[in-house]
Amino acid sequence: MSGPVQVTFLPEDLRVQAPAGTSLQAIADASGADLTFGCRSGSCGTCRVRVLTGQEHCSAMASEERDYLAGIHAPADHRLACQVRVEGDLEVEYLGIEP
Amino acid sequence: MTALASHLLERVLLLDGGMGTQILAKKPTVDDFGGNAFDGCMEILNERRPNWIQDIHASYLDAGADAVETNTFGANQVVLGEFGIPQRAEELNLAAARLAQDVARSYADRRYVIGSVGPGTKLLTLGHIDYGSLYLSYLAQMRGLVAGGVDAVLIETSQDLGQIKTAIRAAKDAMVQLGRACPLWVQATVETTGTLLLGTEIQAVITTVEMLGVDVLGLNCGTGPDEMHAPLQALAEASPFALSCLPNAGLPINQGGSLVYPLDPEAFAEKVAHLSRKFSLNIVGGCCGTTPDHIRALRAHLGSAGLTHRTPQGERSVASLYQSVTLRQEPAPLIVGERTNANGSKKFRDLLALEDYDGLVDIARDQQREGAHMLDVCVAYVGRDEARDMEAFLKKAVTQTLLPLMIDSTEVAVIERALQTAPGKCIVNSINFEDGEARARQVLDLCRTYGAGVVALTIDENGMAHTAEAKLAVATRLYDLVVGEYGFHPADLIIDPLTFTLGSGDETFRGSAKETLEAIRQIKARHPGVLTILGVSNVSFGLAPPIRHVLNALMLFHAVKAGLDLAIFNAAKVIPVAAIPGDHRAAAEDVLFDRRGDGYDPLKTLMALFGDGRAAEPAGPALEDLPVEERLKRDILGGEKRRILDDVDAALKVLPPLEIINRVLLDAMRVVGERFGAGEMQLPFVLESAEAMKAAVKRIEPHLPKDATSTKGRVLLATVKGDVHDIGKNLVEIIFSNNGYQVLNLGIKQPVEAILGAMAEFRPDAIGLSGLLVKSTTVMRENLLHMAELGLTIPVILGGAALTRDFVAEHCQSVYGGPVFYAEDAFEGLRQMDGLTSGLRPAPLAAPEAAGITVVHRGAAPTQLSPAGQSLWVKRGLAIPTPPFWGVRELTLPLEDIFAFLDSFVVLRNRWSFTQGKLSEAAFEAVLKEKAEPLLAKWKQRILDEGLLEPRAVYGYFPVQAEGAHLTVHAPDRTRVLARIPFPRQDQGRRLAIPDFFEPGAGGRFDVLPLQLVTMGHKAAELAADLYRSDNYSDYFLFHGLVTELTEAYAECLHARIRRELGIHGQDAPQLRQLFNQGYQGSRYSFGYPACPDLEGNAAVLDLLNGPAIGVTLTDQFQMDPEFSTSALVAWHPQARYFAV
Repeated sequence: MSGPVQVTFLPEDLRVQAPAGTSLQAIADASGADLTFGCRSGSCGTCRVRVLTGQEHCSAMASEERDYLAGIHAPADHRLACQVRVEGDLEVEYLGIEP
Repeated sequence: MTALASHLLERVLLLDGGMGTQILAKKPTVDDFGGNAFDGCMEILNERRPNWIQDIHASYLDAGADAVETNTFGANQVVLGEFGIPQRAEELNLAAARLAQDVARSYADRRYVIGSVGPGTKLLTLGHIDYGSLYLSYLAQMRGLVAGGVDAVLIETSQDLGQIKTAIRAAKDAMVQLGRACPLWVQATVETTGTLLLGTEIQAVITTVEMLGVDVLGLNCGTGPDEMHAPLQALAEASPFALSCLPNAGLPINQGGSLVYPLDPEAFAEKVAHLSRKFSLNIVGGCCGTTPDHIRALRAHLGSAGLTHRTPQGERSVASLYQSVTLRQEPAPLIVGERTNANGSKKFRDLLALEDYDGLVDIARDQQREGAHMLDVCVAYVGRDEARDMEAFLKKAVTQTLLPLMIDSTEVAVIERALQTAPGKCIVNSINFEDGEARARQVLDLCRTYGAGVVALTIDENGMAHTAEAKLAVATRLYDLVVGEYGFHPADLIIDPLTFTLGSGDETFRGSAKETLEAIRQIKARHPGVLTILGVSNVSFGLAPPIRHVLNALMLFHAVKAGLDLAIFNAAKVIPVAAIPGDHRAAAEDVLFDRRGDGYDPLKTLMALFGDGRAAEPAGPALEDLPVEERLKRDILGGEKRRILDDVDAALKVLPPLEIINRVLLDAMRVVGERFGAGEMQLPFVLESAEAMKAAVKRIEPHLPKDATSTKGRVLLATVKGDVHDIGKNLVEIIFSNNGYQVLNLGIKQPVEAILGAMAEFRPDAIGLSGLLVKSTTVMRENLLHMAELGLTIPVILGGAALTRDFVAEHCQSVYGGPVFYAEDAFEGLRQMDGLTSGLRPAPLAAPEAAGITVVHRGAAPTQLSPAGQSLWVKRGLAIPTPPFWGVRELTLPLEDIFAFLDSFVVLRNRWSFTQGKLSEAAFEAVLKEKAEPLLAKWKQRILDEGLLEPRAVYGYFPVQAEGAHLTVHAPDRTRVLARIPFPRQDQGRRLAIPDFFEPGAGGRFDVLPLQLVTMGHKAAELAADLYRSDNYSDYFLFHGLVTELTEAYAECLHARIRRELGIHGQDAPQLRQLFNQGYQGSRYSFGYPACPDLEGNAAVLDLLNGPAIGVTLTDQFQMDPEFSTSALVAWHPQARYFAV
């Protein structure tokens, strides 16, 4: 079972449908979302996003991502897009590297 | 714990500065030295002018130093021998230690005395002095210092790993002799080249010293603080010891014939204090050119801050004179070359008998080229002096090969001589308990003294262990002795659970491989951290070579699966498991695992399969007694471009020439295509098959009937207008033309008019358009539009790096009346062609990879821009870095430095297309290890040996201001505008343009724009073209891919330098791999890529950097010539990353 879920990318207001369980990275790549990936392994922070709605629809964090976000004292609603699998509707805003 | 030890745990220890310059400042005369014979002997001043030395010590301690170094830098027998007083070494050290003690004790708080031990004047590794003399020279010095009561012995300014090891041994022996232990510090001198004098990388120093155990490992002399950054970083990451840093006061400048060190106390102190904080240094101080004022300033900058903790993560390794090699290779195993062995190689034995040491070294270098990580060296040969041979060979080999050594001997005296001769960290092969533990202990003592790991065989008083259980029992006993009692790191114990031959059919050994594999598993499980090794080729001893290759390859494969870490074998002779035919593999595995059944003996089956093994060679078994058609097919599959000629000749006697091509050879090429498609065959092998095909067809052509046509169809190929990239198109030509098609390859930069003109004459069945650039995808669409207007319907196949299946489906097929196909690779194109020419409907475009992902809404309202016309997403007001200079400089680096930045992963996986496909993890690793990596090593060596590349680079820093989507580049003195470069802006999302990462001109501030340009020269492009023209497809493909990636490596290397010079390298990823994924602050943008797709920008960059000065010019399409060149602009802004407009 993998009902479609909808991901909204901000600030561009791009809405994309994908099967539940798809990685946010695949959705961003396939839809041409304006979101940059770096290492794609959860350690560089290039793809950091703020999850505006649907935090509970994101897969749990693995240690790499948790360590990175803890290291920059990121608020709880920040995630690294390359590490997220989407299980339900989601609204994300691209942040990128913290200057 | 001593006071010094606890000081080092709590806070930074401040050492003193230069001694020599302070003495010279006192203008010593011949009389001060005690006569002409001693003129310049600084050490004798300890006796003749003790008050001077004490003054200097006091001036440093007054300046705030916690410790001073004794005036004993050259107080060893060798240096003093040059003044005729070698016998005075011990007493002069004693005197110097006491002088310093007296001064240090006159202070109320605790100050320390560090015994300085310099490198001397002779390099052991280069054969300037023999080991024994150097050892005794140091021993006398160490005895004097230890007896004189120094708080630590500092082996400093070290340039040679051999010298470091000798001095450490002398120091430890002196402490034992005198019954007084004191801490042992080691400092190496890294030159401006980034290595020690003889080319040793810093990791090799860590590996060598690690095993010997010291208290401090650091750097002094050689360069100033700026240049110590990189080696300190390496030490901070990997060294388990406390870290020290005593730089010179900058790099010396020649001022009117005398050397001047440029850094004043304040500048020096600021830089060193920065290093101290950044790398958690435990000890700082100064070297050449530093004075008490420098130390005073440094004291002020250090403040009273405590130490931060460092968590080094070193991999247990071995080291040669030049490099450190991790014992746990990814992918496993570490390959130990077996041919520098008098027992294993007849050639080596013969050359040894002739005492042709250069020839012996050539064998060592061959193995290095073929992918060995380390060399097993055995010179034992009946009737010869093994110790003498070992020393003579090693003296040559250690400077002429890069690889660490495994010392293979049964004689304790030979092992000791070898360990004295080889710098770095070796492994001794081997110990066992055959005659009890006494001999093993002798060898382990040597390993401890000289810092070597050890191979241990599972042999005890009962003989060789045959069962897994017995092997584990001996291994456990070995572990208890080596790790338990001797205290070795577990990874320095490498257990060999023994390999016996399965070739004899002897019942005793039938199950031996199974037992060995099981033993590896059990040893690794029971003793975590311990490593294992096998002499893999023993498993097939006595069998015919072709069978051996198969059995050895499978034994290695299964041993690695079981957890094997090191394997002794000949890297050149290993065939990829994937290339072993199924029936051979099944029989060989049945032999390995002793799977016999009713009337089934796999060993007999295996031997029968090889017809007693007469004909086959490792790379492609083509057996003489197979039918000729079968042999031809195997020649194609194995890429046997020479052997296939004989088989073609044989085939021509029995088959019509056309049938050979159409039925036999093309059928074999079809299998090649299928295997490639299934991910079972790698592209370089495919090209070898095509080379064999080409050779065969050439041989057959004269025999073809005049009117015969062997053509399946005609294809016209071109790279589209504005694009110079031809490798992809050329691969397509190779595959098409060797699969029965007639191809007209128009070349690069072809306007649609030229393509259509050629079409009228050549009358192709289809047109293939290729291009790498993003822009080429729109050119392809424009071409189709143009062709549609002319009413053409000829099938068109599109391919190229930036092209996607979706783009072709959405934007190309709809504008053209004829069939339009997307081909992901040459073989997909071939399938389309086969479909077209056979009249079948070609397969429709497959669904895009990202199945089920659909855009339901694209936002219409774009984000607003700032008043200065910049994206509001980018944060303003960050501190702008200052470049070290304004304007342009040439920076041409040697190839070795560029190799260091080569992303081997990308070369192998992307450029060379070694992909896993359907291969298992282990099988793919075997392909990488046995074929791909040796191939890369071979090409690197060839590039060096034949001087195929001429790398050159320029880079520079320009004042710049952003104006909307333009960058306005100013002259270094900011008096005029040099260029105004336009950039495209995203029309959605963040609405980014590259200028957003630079300060807007409206604010009046200037930002810094770094630009860079690298090239590999014209010669490389010419060679690539020659290889292609001469049908050396595989070489062409490999060389082109490697040089393309080396060009990137050079750019990466230059970009790293720019980040360093701007001081923004703090975010650089520790692993090279991550650097290639933008693991750093800022971004490097090249024209032609998604953030700035228009190549016109190259004109401004080449103009600003004066590209023609290094031989780089632009074509009329704004692409760089020579092909292997790349330019870029660098943005330092942390938010600058790749994006697409």
